Amino acid sequence: MTETITLSDAKVIIENQIEELARRNREPEWMTRIRYKALEAFEKAPLNDLVISEEELLHFIAKPEIEGIPENIESLDDLPPEMKALLDRLGINEVEQKYIAGLAVQTDTGVIYNEFLKEWEKKGLMVLPTEEAVRKYPDIVKQHFLKLFRADENKLTAYHTAVWNGGIFLYVKEGLKVPFPLHLFFLIQESALAQAPHIIMIAEKNTEFHLIEGCTAPILVKHSLHLDMTEAYLHDGAKVQLTVLQNWPEYVHTRPMTRAKIGKGARFINTTVGLGTGRSNIANPKYWVDENGYVELNGIILGQKDWFVDLGGEMYLQGERAAGINASKAVIMDESTVITRGVIRAEAPKTKGHISCDALLMSDRAVMETYPGLVSKVDDAELSHEAAIGKIRDEELFYLMSRGLDEEKATQLIVKGFLEPMLRDIPMEFLVEIRKIIELAVSGGM
Amino acid sequence: MLKVENLHVSVEGKPILKGLTLAVNSGEFHVIMGPNGSGKSTLALTIAGHPKYSVEGGRILFDDEDITALGPHERARRGIMLAFQHPPEVEGVRIIEFLQQVLVETKGVDPVEAYDMIIKKAEELWFKEEDLHRHLNVGFSGGERKRLEILQALLIEPKLLILDEPDSGVDVDSLSVISRKIEELHQRGTAVLLITHYGRILGHLDREKLRAHVMKDGRIVKTGSGELVDRIENEGFGRIFEEVEG
Ligand SMILES: Nc1ncnc2c1ncn2[C@@H]1O[C@H](COP(=O)(O)OP(=O)(O)OP(=O)(O)O)[C@@H](O)[C@H]1O
Ligand SMILES: [Mg+2]
Repeated sequence: MTETITLSDAKVIIENQIEELARRNREPEWMTRIRYKALEAFEKAPLNDLVISEEELLHFIAKPEIEGIPENIESLDDLPPEMKALLDRLGINEVEQKYIAGLAVQTDTGVIYNEFLKEWEKKGLMVLPTEEAVRKYPDIVKQHFLKLFRADENKLTAYHTAVWNGGIFLYVKEGLKVPFPLHLFFLIQESALAQAPHIIMIAEKNTEFHLIEGCTAPILVKHSLHLDMTEAYLHDGAKVQLTVLQNWPEYVHTRPMTRAKIGKGARFINTTVGLGTGRSNIANPKYWVDENGYVELNGIILGQKDWFVDLGGEMYLQGERAAGINASKAVIMDESTVITRGVIRAEAPKTKGHISCDALLMSDRAVMETYPGLVSKVDDAELSHEAAIGKIRDEELFYLMSRGLDEEKATQLIVKGFLEPMLRDIPMEFLVEIRKIIELAVSGGM
Repeated sequence: MLKVENLHVSVEGKPILKGLTLAVNSGEFHVIMGPNGSGKSTLALTIAGHPKYSVEGGRILFDDEDITALGPHERARRGIMLAFQHPPEVEGVRIIEFLQQVLVETKGVDPVEAYDMIIKKAEELWFKEEDLHRHLNVGFSGGERKRLEILQALLIEPKLLILDEPDSGVDVDSLSVISRKIEELHQRGTAVLLITHYGRILGHLDREKLRAHVMKDGRIVKTGSGELVDRIENEGFGRIFEEVEG
């Protein structure tokens, strides 16, 4: 880092960005005002980041792009072959492939849908870029934008709010049950567009759907700090699964911010698969669960190289008989550090919570820390936790090898077996890729 | 085929095998007996290449190649298989997937074909398809583990099968299945090195055709025909040790 960027330099830069975004998105004034308020908050808000210093943050703001990253992607033809092959398989060009029905790809210029999604739009499934939703459905967006976060919580929430762009707005009409998983890919490269997407999910009463965000191919971005924010609203009886697949390149620091409100009798299963976690990945999603509601946070973490992963998760069990599970499985290689710190707060009678953390340490230099937090404000909550940090035992490795598998293959089998229970809800098309990535990671780490 | 020459082995610094010599030719059936702790499993695990058992002296030859420094998988690929006395649990690894991969990689069998082969052989050892979707040895009883070892032997069809107490902890009916399957493999040409405390596993095998060895304190102290097995079973080791020492 050569030149010093001051807070007021950063403010000027952000201000310009806001103006640019407002113009480009033909943004209504109320949204631009939200951005400016966030900019004000940015100045005073604390940073609270374990990895990024204020100096670095200001630097990211002044110079978000990394040098030496591949050229812009103008069309799907410019994609790296492996990613294109994946998309081909998933049916972006072959809308006839019915088994992978709902697919939307967000590019620099908008969202590309397949025919299937267009059909479902008529039934009440809306998927559109958030900035378009701001123009088209201002009332709904106003009710849901930044209602689970406050811009002034810290510098990152403030910065996100000031410069958010891209992301999708997903709305599912009351009672609609979508029988196929919806796939959403982000293929955005221009940093100003890609860095801080804002995702809003609204599941009206008694809806059901499964959204799969991201893909197993490496995410192509040019920036080095990624700040996405997801706000999910599950109304009574909604059943939603959100599976996030991430394969960040190693120069990105990611700070995914996810929060969800889970209504009476609603169920939210939130699975994150961190295949490539990036230089550092810090997340502390929060969930508020009403009566008889249920939330599950499943984290799969592959720690590699010198990466730093800190996965939290706070669950507020606010309604009677609300329940929450925070389960993570981490494979920790090389010199990486993985920390898990789930917190479950029982605030209503007969609530139940469980935290489990399993880690497989693959190297003597890898570090695992786990801090389960159970807080009960009532006397009849059932809260529990378990943690197991282990290594592959010589005995099991020898046993597999004694049947003719080399050390790498034997290790891969054990690692895949360790992660398998967490991958149960992931469609087959991804599983094949995920297994391959795990295999590669394991052999690279040996 | 297998030549163990003046083998000295220690575990965690403690000498266990102290100059053991043994030769098994192709098609032969050898039995090793010896008191608890005499080093039988150590010998078996050392031949299979367990990294914890360090060879301090001597060497192991297989088909005239010195395999003393080879890894366990390399020995397996040359045709050696050990059926463990205590098969370990391997959490997360499904039997069927594991065996499929073994057959695909070591024998070049097509995966679908491998699957069918495994299911079919498993039936002969009383395993149902759903059992094979369980994790390796996890929650399996002692006797089930022994049957699973034999299933693997049937699928792998090694040149040399080392069986470390395939009969311990096994009920009467399982014992007869295991005994028959070992005989079947032997008849198809597998050389066998069987470690046991009892003669029953040998079933109807012609005692004259067996080679029996008695181990004591890390060495083979007596070798003879299969009659030796029955003698030990009747008399215990005491008399034999007196004879060899006397
Ligand atoms: N990993 C180990 N660490 C320490 N000592 C060991 C280890 N493995 C074997 N030994 C010791 O080596 C000696 C021989 O053990 P081994 O298992 O080879 O005996 P065995 O003849 O197979 O006995 P059994 O009939 O009870 O199976 C024993 O004294 C045992 O305690
Ligand atoms: Mg033994």
